Amino acid sequence: MKLFGRTLAILAISAAALFTASGLALAHHGAAAFDTDKMVTVKGAVTELVYMNPHVQVHWETKNEQGVLEKWQGELTAPNKLTRAGWNKNTLKPGDQITVSGNPNKNNPHTLWIRKLVGPEGNSLPLFED
Amino acid sequence: MARTLTLATAVTWLVWATSISAQAPASSAASAAAAAPKRDLTGVWMIRNPAGMRGYAGATFTKEEPEMTPWAIAKYKEAKNTNGGQYDLETTNDPVVTKCYPPGTPRVYFHPYPFEFIQTPKYVFMIYEYDHVIRRIYTDGRPLPPDPDLTWMGTSIGRWENDTTFVVDTVGFNEKTWIDRLGHPHSTEMHVTERFRRTDRDHLQIDFIITDPKALVKPWTSTFYAELRPQWELGEISCSGDYLEFKAFEK
Repeated sequence: MKLFGRTLAILAISAAALFTASGLALAHHGAAAFDTDKMVTVKGAVTELVYMNPHVQVHWETKNEQGVLEKWQGELTAPNKLTRAGWNKNTLKPGDQITVSGNPNKNNPHTLWIRKLVGPEGNSLPLFED
Repeated sequence: MARTLTLATAVTWLVWATSISAQAPASSAASAAAAAPKRDLTGVWMIRNPAGMRGYAGATFTKEEPEMTPWAIAKYKEAKNTNGGQYDLETTNDPVVTKCYPPGTPRVYFHPYPFEFIQTPKYVFMIYEYDHVIRRIYTDGRPLPPDPDLTWMGTSIGRWENDTTFVVDTVGFNEKTWIDRLGHPHSTEMHVTERFRRTDRDHLQIDFIITDPKALVKPWTSTFYAELRPQWELGEISCSGDYLEFKAFEK
């Protein structure tokens, strides 16, 4: 699949889901809030890395196929675990180009449980401690 | 990242070392493991159970249900845990999730974070990364209190059964905690025995024996496994500060 700039690429997700209150708050109690049968890949520019418990949050913006900026967010594991994997609060900075793959939240398709994250230098960042 | 490089270097070294040792007739895989130091559990450990346990060990001690008394069965039916996806943050009655109650012993092992042993002449500290939980395990020879005050993590004494096995007995629990993440209940009469057996420098076997005449028909036993993490440091996790405010992410 080709990705052009900030073009949004969606794999195996129905496009017409509505924005509702996110169920992401439930995520640290299990994966039930996310559709683990679906995987979405999105390319965009980081707006914020929130390095806090219980799960680190990544916020980014992506231009959709109509050229309109969309806000996306994703969830990683706990900051302590990411620190042990080599991260810190500055690992992703606003403006960094990232490619994120993850399972969409059942209530908010623009919220992902991130399973893979390619950083601004083109390498896949470690998402788990050993 | 630096850590990845270190890991890659270690793996490379391990492959090299293994190939060398394979050529030496006196060597075996078992002798490659460094011996456990004597009477010392100091360090950071992480539960790493074998793959065969992963279906249940993140939430409970055994694949099979423990044998419970009618009192415990009735209480267990009231538990609305968050493991199966049936109950969420709004509907669960998990005391840790809803109120940030201390997890209690032994439920603390079901939080997927490391713990650290710190040994002093009179007691051993166990520090769990999850929510700064600390247990003080007396090793000064005192007996278990016959009528202990009731606390979240209990009152603990420990003794070295041999040079690599540290046995901890804990009593004196309030009834506000669950035994595990599924919500199995216990009473104030619960007695938890943890037998920490350091099988080599890097591996710890934890045998649990949970007795509770009011809740369990017979002792509930299980064995968990932990690995030493020499490069790790415990970080900060605050349930009341971090978890209860996580809804902010919904905005």
